[in-house]
Amino acid sequence: MSAASVRAEAKRLLALSLEGGAVSSDRVGAVLSALAKSRPAHQLRPLLRAYLANIRRELARGEARIEHAGPLSASDADAIAAHFTKLLGRPVRPVARRNDALLAGFRVRVGDDVTDVSASLRLANLAKSLS
Amino acid sequence: MTFLSALLAAEPAHEAAKAAAHGAESHGPLADIVHLFGSFGVDKAHLIVQVVNFAILAFVLYKFAIKPALGQLEERIRQAEQLQKDRSAAEAQLASAQKTAEAQLVAASDQAAKILADARNSAKAAVEAARAEAQAAQTEVIAKAKAAIEADRVKMMNEVRGEVSRLVVETAAKVLEQNLDDAQRGRLNEAAVKQLAR
Repeated sequence: MSAASVRAEAKRLLALSLEGGAVSSDRVGAVLSALAKSRPAHQLRPLLRAYLANIRRELARGEARIEHAGPLSASDADAIAAHFTKLLGRPVRPVARRNDALLAGFRVRVGDDVTDVSASLRLANLAKSLS
Repeated sequence: MTFLSALLAAEPAHEAAKAAAHGAESHGPLADIVHLFGSFGVDKAHLIVQVVNFAILAFVLYKFAIKPALGQLEERIRQAEQLQKDRSAAEAQLASAQKTAEAQLVAASDQAAKILADARNSAKAAVEAARAEAQAAQTEVIAKAKAAIEADRVKMMNEVRGEVSRLVVETAAKVLEQNLDDAQRGRLNEAAVKQLAR
């Protein structure tokens, strides 16, 4: 299989793995079972690698990865996720991780989009404007 | 001469007798004059002999002395005149040569003066060109030096500003890191969530 056909097949498998716009573990399991039966092993490896990348990207699009300095309450995390759910038009769930290097505030990554409201970014912008 | 002397010596007595006879025969002014000359010892025959003798002497003198002398004198005069002519021609030639030399000297002097003037002008132009070039080079060097100094100053100012900014930010970050407790950070996070929701 060529790289282009692998990418197209992986995209089709990803579409089969979605349920209600989100990745469903049941559907992913069904897709993997069907692939194991229908494709020889030497064709499966590149296809599975592309499918895995698509699944990870899709999962990342559905997650709001929040890095925060200091404590962040669950309600605040949910509020952040709700904000991005409303903004992007798809369900987004919060995944929080503490990072005190941000000094204060938080940084949210949803897919390829990054929103930074941390004190460290403000200071970095201040340093850039002064230099 | 010997013949003439003998003739002269033999003549006087005969001539005196003839004169006396003739004098007795003729009278008048001429006879008086002859008589007068005769009284001084000058008789006709003697006078004729003297004249002939003088003519012969004059002829001989003229033929062998005066004529060659005159010829030599004329030759000398001719040579002198030729010399005078040659001298005049030489003087004229000398004058012409001097004039030509003076003209050539004047022309050479003029040409030398012109060459000198041209050389001075060329030297002056070269000096002016070199001076202008040196001044342009000096101006360019000064401008480059000023530009380099200004660039260095700006670079140093930027470096100082960047270093100060970095120090300020690092200090602020350390101050925030040391002085912010979890409660304050939690309040800041809540404020950030509210800001994000707006």
